[in-house]
Amino acid sequence: MAQKLSTRSFGVIAASALIAGLPITAHAASDAPSLKHTTVLSDLENPWDMAFLADGTMLFTEKCRGLSVRLPDGDVNHLLGMNGTEGYTTTADDLVCEGQAGMNGVAVDPDFADNRTIYVYSASTISDLRTNRVVRLTLNTGLTEVSNRTDIIKDIPYKQTASDHPFGGPGAHNGGRIRFSPDDGYLYVTTGDNHNSDLPQSGNSLGGKVLRIDGNGEAAAGNADATPEGFDPRIFTYGHRNVQGITFDPETAQPYVSEHGPWHSDEVNALVAGGNSGWDPRPNMAGRGDCPDHYCGYQPNQNEGMDPDDRRAYMPISDMKTYPDAMKPVWGNNGLSQGMSSAVFLTGDQWGDWNGRLAVSFLGIGFGGTPVGQRINVLDLANDGKSAQDATELPAPMGSARFRSLVQGPEGDLYTATDEGQIHRITPN
Amino acid sequence: MKTPVLCAVTAALAIGMTSAQAGDASAGETLYAEACAQCHGPKARGMASFPSLAGNDEEFIVSRLEQYRAGEKVGPNSGLMIPNAADLSDADIANLATYISTRFQ
Repeated sequence: MAQKLSTRSFGVIAASALIAGLPITAHAASDAPSLKHTTVLSDLENPWDMAFLADGTMLFTEKCRGLSVRLPDGDVNHLLGMNGTEGYTTTADDLVCEGQAGMNGVAVDPDFADNRTIYVYSASTISDLRTNRVVRLTLNTGLTEVSNRTDIIKDIPYKQTASDHPFGGPGAHNGGRIRFSPDDGYLYVTTGDNHNSDLPQSGNSLGGKVLRIDGNGEAAAGNADATPEGFDPRIFTYGHRNVQGITFDPETAQPYVSEHGPWHSDEVNALVAGGNSGWDPRPNMAGRGDCPDHYCGYQPNQNEGMDPDDRRAYMPISDMKTYPDAMKPVWGNNGLSQGMSSAVFLTGDQWGDWNGRLAVSFLGIGFGGTPVGQRINVLDLANDGKSAQDATELPAPMGSARFRSLVQGPEGDLYTATDEGQIHRITPN
Repeated sequence: MKTPVLCAVTAALAIGMTSAQAGDASAGETLYAEACAQCHGPKARGMASFPSLAGNDEEFIVSRLEQYRAGEKVGPNSGLMIPNAADLSDADIANLATYISTRFQ
């Protein structure tokens, strides 16, 4: 493993290099490209995801505001506003935000050139209890408005009330990334467990899952054959905690997810149809007793620091003992939980030796002695794609931040959204 | 001897202070950047599920930090705030409260 530098060290290095007007070369790994950056947008409110059209037009979401589009000339049109917003051409009062929930992922249909269809993932009040929905929209040719709203998934669970857990407010563990596979053409939707221990292993709930559906919200062919009998046919994989990243290997189309760990072990997982990721935080099983509000997800000591190895023994994120056939994690962030949020493969010769490597982003969580860890890592996966043989910290030229989203633009540059309100473009030299 | 005291009182009133413990905003700024900004944001507007601190007065911030330092649960992020506040001194709390309440209106 390449040696990692602290967040603060990188901040100082980045600031020094920017002052000097020089590109930054990673010194954590000799094969890293030089990088420079441009801040594409700033002063946003919790930007959460981006999706590009072929000409560089960038759709982006803000968690409590809604969907907008940045045109190649830099102008921004506000398309679909959430409850309480102003300045959008359309406002949907049912779309709401709280805590980690709101408007999250955005995706462009593979046939966009013909059907001008896009999708967003958002919390909604239409149902009796709030749910997360996958909303299909048509974007007009002028890029000024969306229409034809159809909610193709209406029943992704949303955490309704606060509970006695870290980050325990409503809207927690809400998943929210949506991406099309370049191989099978289906839309993959990542969800969270809502701090509800019954959801991840339940075949009746869409919480704690990765869904695989078509553009109408119908189950992908093959899901039901792969999952246990009786499972909702939209479920592709189950036993997840809170998945906020999904991407596909550029050569094999193998889907990979990045997943938040339970005070230990953020995970990258290679998904197989019908696979169980092994997350089961129910009390009174697997050697555990009762837990606060029936959820052991931060136990055995949820409010104080302790050795992550001891946590892993008590409450594993991939419980291979209870579920021996569960998907084995590809990478576990060296046993630490630092808020791994998003993932994307870097492709193109401009990335040099990083061409084909997997970038994962971190929000950073400073708890119990764990370093905050705000950064982007570049993983070198083994040839079989089942393990990571190197994890190098990308020397972020803009400094550290809560990196929420990673997307590769059509020109091959890496774009990242930060909770601080910026979208940066990182260009390899 | 009265003049400096009056100046201090006047300055305190001018920035809307309600507490007699005037903190050092500069020290508070340094501590905020090190210990608070990564969750509450560089402009204290809040990020993700971490709340905005803007608009809170000094007395409220002192009160909250003292509660967290004492291990008292206040809200869903207490698990993060209690250990973060555990080692704050009275001066640290005063400095943070002064900085946050005056810088982020």
